[in-house]
Amino acid sequence: MTRTRAWHLADFHNHSCLSPCASLELSPSLLARQARGKGLKLLALTDHNAALNCPAFARACAREGVAPLAGIEASSREEVHVLCLFGSPEQALAFGERLLGLLPELPYDPEKLGDEAVVDEAENVLELCDRYLGAALDIDFDALCAEACGAGALVVPAHVDRPMFSVSSQLGFLPPGPYAAVEAMREPLPALCGGCAVISGSDAHVPEHVGRRAFEIDIDGEILEAAIVGAGAGGGAALRAGEELLAAVREAFDRKAVLPSWARGGA
Amino acid sequence: MLVSDLERRFGYRAVQGEFADRELSGGYTSDLLSDVMANAKADSVLVTIQAHKNTVAVASLVGIAAVVVCNERPIPDDMIEAARAEGLALFVTAESQFEVSGRLWPELGTGSGR
Repeated sequence: MTRTRAWHLADFHNHSCLSPCASLELSPSLLARQARGKGLKLLALTDHNAALNCPAFARACAREGVAPLAGIEASSREEVHVLCLFGSPEQALAFGERLLGLLPELPYDPEKLGDEAVVDEAENVLELCDRYLGAALDIDFDALCAEACGAGALVVPAHVDRPMFSVSSQLGFLPPGPYAAVEAMREPLPALCGGCAVISGSDAHVPEHVGRRAFEIDIDGEILEAAIVGAGAGGGAALRAGEELLAAVREAFDRKAVLPSWARGGA
Repeated sequence: MLVSDLERRFGYRAVQGEFADRELSGGYTSDLLSDVMANAKADSVLVTIQAHKNTVAVASLVGIAAVVVCNERPIPDDMIEAARAEGLALFVTAESQFEVSGRLWPELGTGSGR
């Protein structure tokens, strides 16, 4: 269907105050507000190994008129980071529960490693996570990707060309896997792409980095609008709209209908 | 020292023992395969916790003769299969990378080239 397909600005790699390494200031609400300010229409929250801020993020996005995806940046045993993107906070939370069981029990001192705040869309702190979310999960990269895919996620290896926490740094090259796309910092070597669509991502940890490496995606605007309305309403409507949104993103990735930041001549 | 000495003299358990025995020229210790690709030498032993089938591919690319996986890291079946297909000797031990490197240094240190 090509009803109202057009190029929209998107960013699928962003942290919030739940990530120990992110600014405490960067609430899901501020993230959504910054994104709207940068003209983004489609945004994912991808905290390290957890999705606890995705419900607040979805509601904040609805308020700002930005279509939300609920994500997690999972860290495999080899310390390879992979973005797992879901259509609804419920699905992301369920996968996050599974990952929590794979998180090693490590001594965690928020003073040294950073706070992990679960907040609502009004920036009230609901809870401080007492497990260190920055650790590597006890599951290998291939199994992690397979599980995420089985749970309904779009699986996107993160910053594949980065000198740390990437498939290239940890594993030398991209092994075959169920990837919907790969994310890179700059135009990557074909060997790191696995024949997939290549997106850029801001990997924002502070408010001023939101949107710095956004990409464009050719996607149906009506589906984005439905996802925004759904995210505000919640419940079954949100689930259906989110599923449709995720399917549209997958379909755009399959068509390679994306323009990463370096192909947009700037950013 | 020979590849087979890793089991015979040092007690590292061979999880893939089908290989042509040969003389080791040195060793390299790293968990980042990008670093292994750039810096490890042919005919050396790789000391690592990076238990993934890509380790086998990189070892074969570089000409590494043996891999010792430390800390009893779980070794995926597809890594063992890949090592068998390449004739790469694959060992596992409870010792850390520090301990293995320290024990191998007197034998291989001067040949490590680093």
